[in-house]
Amino acid sequence: MAVTTLAKPDYDVLNVLALKKMAGAAAIATVTGMEAGDVEGRLEDLANNGLAVVAGGSALPTDEAEPALAATAAGIYAPIRADDDVLALVGRFETTNSQFLVAMSSWQQVEVGGRKVTNDHSDAGYDEKVITKIERLVGRLEALLDALAEHDARFSTYSTRFASALEAVDAGDHDLISSPTRDSVHTIWFEFHEDLLRTLGRERAE
Amino acid sequence: MTWTRAFTDDGPVDAGELGGKGSGLVRMTHDGLRVPPGYVITTGACHVYLDRGALPDGLEDEIRHRLAELEAATGKTFGIGPEPLLLSVRSGAPVSMPGMMDTVLDLGLSREAAVALAQRSTDTHFIADLVARFHAMYSEIVLGALDDRPTVDALVAEADPGEEPGAAFDRIWAAAEEALDDELGESVPSTPWHQLLHAVEAVFRSWNTRRARTYREHHGIPHDMGTAVVVQSMVFGNLDDTSGSGVAFTRDPITGAPGLYGEYLAHSQGEDVVAGVRTPDRVQEALSADLLAELERTGAELEARHGDVLDIEFTVEHGVLYFLQVRSAKRTPEAAVRIAADLLADGTAGAARALELVTAAQLRQAQRPGFDPSALAAARDDGRLLLTGIGACPGQVSGELVLDPDRARERADAGASVILGRSVTSPADLHGMIAASGIVTATGGSTSHAAVVARALGTACVVGAADLEIDDAARTVHTGARTLAEGDPVSLDGGSGELFAGALPTTTPAAANEAMDTLLAAAADAAGSEVLARVTLPGDVDTARGAGAIGVVTAIDDVLAASGDLDRLVEMLLEKGLNGVGALSEVRDAVAEHLAPLLAAARDGGVEDVDVRAIDLLADESRELLQQTAVTTRHPELALPLGVPDLIRAQRGGLVRAAGVAGYAGRLRLAVRHVSDPAEARALAALDDGPDAPAVGTYLTSPRAVLGATELAAHSGVVWLEVRALQAAMFGIPARQFLTAEPLDAYVARGLLAVDPRHELDPVVVHLLQDVPPGTGVRLSGTVSDEVAATLHRLGFRRYAVDLPEVRPLLLGLGRAALSR
Repeated sequence: MAVTTLAKPDYDVLNVLALKKMAGAAAIATVTGMEAGDVEGRLEDLANNGLAVVAGGSALPTDEAEPALAATAAGIYAPIRADDDVLALVGRFETTNSQFLVAMSSWQQVEVGGRKVTNDHSDAGYDEKVITKIERLVGRLEALLDALAEHDARFSTYSTRFASALEAVDAGDHDLISSPTRDSVHTIWFEFHEDLLRTLGRERAE
Repeated sequence: MTWTRAFTDDGPVDAGELGGKGSGLVRMTHDGLRVPPGYVITTGACHVYLDRGALPDGLEDEIRHRLAELEAATGKTFGIGPEPLLLSVRSGAPVSMPGMMDTVLDLGLSREAAVALAQRSTDTHFIADLVARFHAMYSEIVLGALDDRPTVDALVAEADPGEEPGAAFDRIWAAAEEALDDELGESVPSTPWHQLLHAVEAVFRSWNTRRARTYREHHGIPHDMGTAVVVQSMVFGNLDDTSGSGVAFTRDPITGAPGLYGEYLAHSQGEDVVAGVRTPDRVQEALSADLLAELERTGAELEARHGDVLDIEFTVEHGVLYFLQVRSAKRTPEAAVRIAADLLADGTAGAARALELVTAAQLRQAQRPGFDPSALAAARDDGRLLLTGIGACPGQVSGELVLDPDRARERADAGASVILGRSVTSPADLHGMIAASGIVTATGGSTSHAAVVARALGTACVVGAADLEIDDAARTVHTGARTLAEGDPVSLDGGSGELFAGALPTTTPAAANEAMDTLLAAAADAAGSEVLARVTLPGDVDTARGAGAIGVVTAIDDVLAASGDLDRLVEMLLEKGLNGVGALSEVRDAVAEHLAPLLAAARDGGVEDVDVRAIDLLADESRELLQQTAVTTRHPELALPLGVPDLIRAQRGGLVRAAGVAGYAGRLRLAVRHVSDPAEARALAALDDGPDAPAVGTYLTSPRAVLGATELAAHSGVVWLEVRALQAAMFGIPARQFLTAEPLDAYVARGLLAVDPRHELDPVVVHLLQDVPPGTGVRLSGTVSDEVAATLHRLGFRRYAVDLPEVRPLLLGLGRAALSR
């Protein structure tokens, strides 16, 4: 069966939709930097092509979305996949990603007498060390994001999202470190990781 | 001395001048603990540095002078042998804040010092390791490096204990410098004096990192406060076999059991214990009798002085015990409860202090039900253990196995408890993870995305269950020789990482109960308040009593819904008239039948206070359940609290019969929601249903009722104030929106409401409550924060009803509020 390939802006919209699983046009517009009206029109087209379902102001990707995204990414991101500079940075990302997940875990759990227990956030000094580490690790993504943005400008939106999440964290909204339901540092990182895998045509290992 | 203060110098301990860490060390020294000698560079020096961008005049001389003092006190010399003095440098602001420079250890490690140390310890491998660590730490903390250094690590691993130390130093230093140059284009100064000065300046500079500035702006901390610098001599646990380092807790931080609990690693430096590089030994076995006795004695003294369990970081150098840090110990929720109860019982802590040692969140976690131990043992014996992965988020839950996030959400929406099984998880699985009670994945470690998400959600989770083979097409799972189909019941233990076939029953952990009871008895004593639990099922009455509730509240519509009889009654209301032997006699019969078991349970459990809420056909949160639109279209008069007085009489009559059948002789009262006028209250009071009928009263749900509460109370047999309904009315938001995370979470996150009406009392509501008669009971829904409990206690309320799991946390919060005043 022939798999649909998508026009670039449609790819951008469907890619975000697939990352978020369910999203409204406004949310997608925020992340892609497109106009909400434009996103809405594209969602309708995607729905007409059987790649998305739009209901009650939100859209969902269909089972056909992933293959279409994979096929499109293979075409439009062929230059990225052949860019040795990007690939070298991706190699380093693996390490940064592990360090990041360890830092996230130490935000959520502390070691007590050899056992991990939920961090009750009563030790501000400890928490701040972890936040500092997380911020440094996010800083580590800059080179990769910049390199990717040279191929496709949309990757720079991750930097903007990280910056606003970290700013809110510094303002005391610590929920934005790992909340799965908000645009937290972990949510953004997790989506970037998934996006990166799709861009490179790689499988997730865990 | 203008800019510095030795730990041993007399004088007031001012955190504004010495910073938090500095004043802690000065205090420990003054308390007679053997603290490695050191000094504090005061915040005053930081002010000057920040003003002119250079160290203040005279500071360098003072640092030299202090260095000479440290050399004299320790008998060591900075940067040279035979006994080199090494220093630690750390920041210490008066308040803890992000972005500040952390600790640098082993400053002063020149080539000469390293060679001398190697000769003293007769171990070049030790020096290789020390050099690599110092360089990495200085690079990370002062210069901001992050990378691992595999080339350096390899050289350290190869270093031979017997080789010439100078050569080893040169090799390691060069490799570390190269790694740092590759990463950042920076270099670590090779002379001890410059290492020290640069580290001090780095501390001062870290005051103005972007993060520190932002933090101060958001928290109203003045930018001119400045930070102190703590400079301290290092002691070495890795010199020889009479040296070592360890961490000791004054009680077991996992179970809370009394007695020193700690680990010691001979011939090691503190980081080894923390990093888990080598397995430490228990202090009881590894320390000499003298040292153990000294540690135990000091621990007991410190515990008595602080009224809390402490975490003591110590090092032994050549057989001498040094105290590096003493702070309040982190502990498991179970330990927190036991420790507070024990310290209260042995008099170390008074009631006020003991109650401060447990948070409501810890209490909630400690009372969380777990698998019934005998059922768990039976499951093991029966070979129902399917697999063991890595426990990523604790919690013991049973549910039906579902292999797809969409279906997981569907099943959860239909009321099922779901265990979501996945090979790998992507961001697109989130909705399924949110819906699930437990998550198991075949891949990933305890620091995978799935684990991070599960912990953020507080959902029990097992990752890395390599034996989990999921066949998506067939919707089956193979674990070894066994095959399970989607929908099969399984039980997941997110702590041990185990997955069992079949559902396991849960119970409240018995071990925690005794300590909890002790503590909550103290809280209840102090609070002088009655707490009732909301129950719907007869089985919950005993649990409520066990948690410390003096009575129960229930609602007729909830009990009927749980009994499965509600739909029939609603249909009856839609079909039949409200007169004579119509629908209302059916209501009376149903109330008699379904409330009797609950009242029987109350009688058996010795509960003598039962308040019942009458059916509420207006409640926003039960619109669908009660088919409100249809019912009030058929009988418009039911849309008002006393529209059909006979409906109240029917419920009252049903309650009389239920109490008779159950043999319940305690206090029984019925309250009607939405009453706001004294005339309504009088009309309720005038209903004559005989001498046995329960007293009737009201639930205050509107601002009008609250403002007129005194007069309403004068005519009512019982008055409850329903906080959720009142807040909903004040905000004009439908009450059912208070029951879910969304849409309010996102709305509050956007900053559109100053108060989250689900978790905080609106100041306007607090204002209204000031004139409510203190005899009024307060009905709270969902989790109750300490702030809400404290505010209500301050307003004079002494009778509360909460959801069953909140009885203990509320008692604690009320007790704390009472004692803190």
